[in-house]
Amino acid sequence: MTGRKVNVSRSGSSSFPAQTVLHPRQPVRPLCMVGAVERRALLLPYRPVSLTEVLKRRSNCLEMKPGKAKISYTQRDFVYSFQAGPQKFALTVPLQFPVQENLDHLHGRLMLLHNLPCFVEKDLKQSLCRFVEKETVKDYDREAELALEAMSLSAVATEKLSNTWMKAYTETTLEHARPEEPNWDEDFADIYHDLIHSPASETLLNLEHNYFLSISELLSERDVELKKLRERQGTEMNKVMQELGKSLTDQDVNSVAAQHFESQQVLENKWSTELQQLSTIQKQEYQEWVIKLHHDLKNPNNSSISEEIKFQPSSLHESADTSREAYEEHRQLEESFTIHLGAQLKTMHNLRLMRADMLDFCKHKRNHHRGVKLHRLQTAMSLYSTSLCGLVLLVDNRINSYSGIKRDFATVCQECTDFQFPQLQEQLEIVQQVLLYARAQRDQMSKPQHDSTNGNEGRADKVKSNQSNLLPGEFYVTRHSNLSEMHVVFHLCVDDSVRSGNITARDPAIMGLRNILKVCCTHDITTINIPLLLVHEMSEEMTIPWCSKRAELVFKCVKGFMMEMVSWDGGVSRTVQFLVPQNISEEMFYQLSNMLPQIFRVSSTLTLTSKH
Amino acid sequence: MPPLKDAELGAFTFFASALPHDVCGSNGLPLTPNSIKILGRFQILKTIVHPRLCQYVDISRGKHERLVVVAEHYPKSFEDLLREGTPVSSSKIFRLAYEVLQGLEYMNRHRMVHRALAPHNILLDGEGHAKLAKFGLYHITDHGADVDFPIGYPSYLAPEVIAQGIVKPTDPTQCERPLPSGPKSDVWSLGLILFELCMGRKLFQSLDISEKLKLILTLGCVDDIITVLSEEHGCEDILKSVPENTLALLRKCLTFHPTKRPTSAELLADSVFSEVSPLYLPFRKPVGLFSSALRCANLILPEDISLLCKDEDSDFLAERSIEEVYHLWCLAGGDLEKELISKGIIRSKPPICTLPNLLLEDGESFGQGRDRSSLLDDTTVTLSLCQLRNRLKDVPGEAYYPLLGEDQSNIPHSGSSNELSTSATLPLIIRERDTEYQLNRIVLFDRLLNAYPYKKNMIWKEARVDIPPLLRGLTWAALLGVEGAIQEKYDMIDKDTPIPTDRQIEVDIPRCHQYDELLSSPEGHAKFRRVLKAWVVSHPNLVYWQGLDSLCAPFLYLNFNNEALAYACMSAFIPKYLYNFFLKDNSHVIQEYLKVFSQMIAFHDPELSNHLNEIGFIPDLYAIPWFLTMFTHVFPLHKIFHLWDTLLLGNASFPFCIGVAILQQLRVRLLANGFNECILLFSDLPEIDIERCVRESVNLFCWTPKSATYRQHAQVPKQISESNGVSRTSASFSVDFQESPKTDLGREPINMKELKLEVSPRISAEDLIDLCELTMPSMSRIPSKKTRSIKPKLLVVDIRHSEDFNRGHIPGSINMPSGSAFTTERDLAPCPASTTLQNFKGKVIVTVGHAAQDASEIIIFTARVVMDLAACGKKFNNHG
Repeated sequence: MTGRKVNVSRSGSSSFPAQTVLHPRQPVRPLCMVGAVERRALLLPYRPVSLTEVLKRRSNCLEMKPGKAKISYTQRDFVYSFQAGPQKFALTVPLQFPVQENLDHLHGRLMLLHNLPCFVEKDLKQSLCRFVEKETVKDYDREAELALEAMSLSAVATEKLSNTWMKAYTETTLEHARPEEPNWDEDFADIYHDLIHSPASETLLNLEHNYFLSISELLSERDVELKKLRERQGTEMNKVMQELGKSLTDQDVNSVAAQHFESQQVLENKWSTELQQLSTIQKQEYQEWVIKLHHDLKNPNNSSISEEIKFQPSSLHESADTSREAYEEHRQLEESFTIHLGAQLKTMHNLRLMRADMLDFCKHKRNHHRGVKLHRLQTAMSLYSTSLCGLVLLVDNRINSYSGIKRDFATVCQECTDFQFPQLQEQLEIVQQVLLYARAQRDQMSKPQHDSTNGNEGRADKVKSNQSNLLPGEFYVTRHSNLSEMHVVFHLCVDDSVRSGNITARDPAIMGLRNILKVCCTHDITTINIPLLLVHEMSEEMTIPWCSKRAELVFKCVKGFMMEMVSWDGGVSRTVQFLVPQNISEEMFYQLSNMLPQIFRVSSTLTLTSKH
Repeated sequence: MPPLKDAELGAFTFFASALPHDVCGSNGLPLTPNSIKILGRFQILKTIVHPRLCQYVDISRGKHERLVVVAEHYPKSFEDLLREGTPVSSSKIFRLAYEVLQGLEYMNRHRMVHRALAPHNILLDGEGHAKLAKFGLYHITDHGADVDFPIGYPSYLAPEVIAQGIVKPTDPTQCERPLPSGPKSDVWSLGLILFELCMGRKLFQSLDISEKLKLILTLGCVDDIITVLSEEHGCEDILKSVPENTLALLRKCLTFHPTKRPTSAELLADSVFSEVSPLYLPFRKPVGLFSSALRCANLILPEDISLLCKDEDSDFLAERSIEEVYHLWCLAGGDLEKELISKGIIRSKPPICTLPNLLLEDGESFGQGRDRSSLLDDTTVTLSLCQLRNRLKDVPGEAYYPLLGEDQSNIPHSGSSNELSTSATLPLIIRERDTEYQLNRIVLFDRLLNAYPYKKNMIWKEARVDIPPLLRGLTWAALLGVEGAIQEKYDMIDKDTPIPTDRQIEVDIPRCHQYDELLSSPEGHAKFRRVLKAWVVSHPNLVYWQGLDSLCAPFLYLNFNNEALAYACMSAFIPKYLYNFFLKDNSHVIQEYLKVFSQMIAFHDPELSNHLNEIGFIPDLYAIPWFLTMFTHVFPLHKIFHLWDTLLLGNASFPFCIGVAILQQLRVRLLANGFNECILLFSDLPEIDIERCVRESVNLFCWTPKSATYRQHAQVPKQISESNGVSRTSASFSVDFQESPKTDLGREPINMKELKLEVSPRISAEDLIDLCELTMPSMSRIPSKKTRSIKPKLLVVDIRHSEDFNRGHIPGSINMPSGSAFTTERDLAPCPASTTLQNFKGKVIVTVGHAAQDASEIIIFTARVVMDLAACGKKFNNHG
């Protein structure tokens, strides 16, 4: 703050009354008064402020300001003298440099505080501006000379300095940055994006579907063979069991079991290698074909494929047995809502509550009927766009696909070759490496602080014990082009505490959800599926009160995060789908669907009434 | 803003640096994104108008902290002069140097430093004059702190700039850093550019960045920088041919030590420019609309007036200001990001390719490669005006120069104005996006505003049609009658000395319309603080009530670069609509206001009123923030603008009608719900269709008798000193009841207790006479279209004793003596009169009685009638 203490000192020996005005003491005004009227809607609770508090604040303010900005402030006196008749006056204003204040305001205040005569107004303004300008330039010069001097003394410093500059330029400006190395994946992405938005999309989808069918064939062959093996082994085992105690010992049974297991493993491995191979071949073929197609479309002279596209009849007909699917779909319960969030400016979002399996959004229907195909087309078209779809999968702390939902998900991923992104297994390996790298970084970061603060020691030890495992609330992200409706999968790590009834809004799982929504903002994921109860399967301890309590928590937290999101992305309309497990009762579902509009304040439905 | 002339619109883009994940500021609120900080600081650049500086027009925020800046642009620059490869003549160098220095000097006076001076940033306009571009970059980025890239180009950095290094605050919550670069660093850059022009080639081309910088730093040890530089580049021969005074200029600019280097102001006054300086007139800033100075003081008409209109087929669009042209360009379908994408400046990767692999619990992400598309490419792209010109090619020249004479209506309309009148019937939202329509409106309002206050009544008339968004701020000021030396008045108010209210203001500002980029920027907060403090300090009899901040928001938003005007508008608005609402003890004012409001609900919608009274949902519970902030606390800014466009045309009782109109939109839900649901409903008010709300409130206003909204605590009528008598005759709509001349048929104040008992409003005898059409039509103060109805609109019920009734009564009135009208069960006693009453359900019913005796009876009677019939009832206090 400048000009807090302003004095007018007399230089002439006149009878002009010495002014001792420092600053006008205004009577303390109530900040916020509550009259007889209730003002529940608008006003904050009233808290009177005493005068002493105000004064204390004021002096704090004086001390704080220079400290806060940490610019080396210097105080200089601006002296202005003027003559009124025979009398001479001098006005001394201590100013803090660099001056942050608007000089017009300062000038107005000086005139007001000291009752300065209006004939000095212009002159005072000019000399004030001149003074400030002159002194500021002096400050700049001094600072600059100091910097130059420091540089002239040491060659090492100069070297270091110019390298920092160079680094800054090469890292942030296109002009000085290293030229971009060609990236095959991105080029392919561009080509694919072009093609899927062209008449060729139909052909592409058919091709993808054909590949999908051949994988399915392979899978069913595998299943048949595995089933046969298991049957054979079953009968063999039965025989063995009958002989147990007679001609065979426990050891023999064990060895047979081990043998069975081994042969099963061998068979499974054989099939998975085959699957792997087929996928790789498919991917390669597909990519080559896409590039060729793109090339041909660009040069329409020697087009063989483009003709093919034009006249290729839809080779896949609508499937006959829609009845089974209709039945399947029937079991899925679903309710949609539109909400408006925000106090004054409202943004519209869509919410959906569904009773469905998470993986339903990933699985491809084997039958290529109309709706499915449209889904697929939409997913493909938006893959490289700015409206992505994602889902949250709750996983344990190990990054693999051996058990539970992870295994199921991996199975679904295998059902169709991913033509754009690496296979799930490869992606997981990368994630594992990144995790190790992240942990190493963290350790490095925390080491210097570690000595001083022992606050997080327990946690840090835990981290050290298994560096390669996730902690609750952390998540990894995989990208897919082969799932039916999803592009991005968030694998959120949760532990057993989510099964207990008393998790709070501060729970790592909830914080993880918040971070997921944040990634949705920064990466244009406009549709996100969230397991409402933070579990994928119902179990016995999940009673009705448990469910409603959990749903309420998640609804409320997600609402809060969505309101926060507006400040992150400026209010993009989103779709949030809350999923509850398949085996939840219909009553429970409707109870939850009643809860949602209460928490989210669903905007009113348009009521059509006849007007007479 | 100056006219477009031969300039083009240019756009360039850059990214603000991203904030670290989840860091809070010292006040516990999330940090303001850097892009918003930059956006706030940018605004002041729009006001910097100088012939040597490229006019800044707009900034817009894109996704992920991207900013796009729109400014005046020219295709040619110093770069083109250098590309020719031949030394530029000495006289030209002097001229250009002088022009650049003028620009720099003007910037320095606004405490700005260019820092990014380079040949391609000094443009050449059509006449070959220099214009500085990107001069505000260093200012808006807080001296480079809010962006990742360094500001400036390696070859042209001054030695002290290099020596000071790049200081990035590692932690955004603390900002420990030395002084930014001073204005003298630009003089060095200019010197280097001039040297290049003299040599006809670029310097340091073969060196990499760090070598360049090291070389510049070593120049401090050499005797003559110019000689050394020319030797370095093998152009001593050219140097020999350079005249001595040019060398002197170069030496002055390329002084290694900043203490010895002159500032741009000193250089301009230097003797080396003695030949050039007389060629340039000193720049005089054009006087703005609301200023104390005489606006026409510097107007010089050419001797021969016909010179002004010599070019017949001139480009009319080019005569409009850059700001207008840009506004129209946007309306005509201009999309900044699309333009930049099509020129390859924005090259964003699909988001799925940039997803991180892993996020830790604290939100730190890993496995995300550095995105190349975030690198700085500050190429300026020209925005093509083809589409706009094409759109406007059928607009006749007259549209750009509408005549404002009084007899304008007699002039036959041309074809396009017919089209305009058809588009005037379209919804407001569509009109605001219609290019041709907006062009016409902007031109018209621009001219009217220039003629303010002389054309005040025409502004009123046109504002009733609609207000062009571009000129809303000034139009509102004109509607509020702002005049006089507002800037000087504002400057004289002490806005810095701490006052006790500061703390509350500090708490409220970060919660006021923060969804808006402008108002949430630190710059916006500072302005908020000053305007609010100025108001509090300058109105010692009033106090700061929460809500004043919301009230200030629309004015500040519209006049972001003119705090004085925002303050003046607010100071004019409050006495007009919120007279004495900000008293320290305002309870009597508010109580009366709310009571009158509930009477208005009863008058216009008795059914709703009955329901609300039944469940005890009184206006005190929800309507205080509505009226105390004139709905600014309730609606987002874009809705407030449309609402206030009409509100400002109405008088102080218009807000009642808005309130009723809002309730009307929620009617079905209110009627269906009980107290708790209603409270919940209003705590988070659903979306209101604002255009419908405005339309309905105007209707309601027309139906309301003037005296029904009489308030004792309303602003006392000013002694209207309208000597010229222009304004009010045309605007009966805006005249307050209080302002009309008092007659003995008017309403008299009644005390609060009485008022509280009354369900429906009282009206004055004068209004009754009007309503019953007892007077000559010419005297009617109600707009004539309403008197056209044939059916009787109202029923007068006389509750005096039948003797009195027989002695004399209003024609058409029925008599229902209060004593016998109701049965003991409080039902209407069956009689012919009550049947008539039933028939008038839904119409206006006026109850008449004796002033002295029957007042309370009237109240009871009307209350019962309202209950029974749920019809419109109102009371009248008969004198006599």
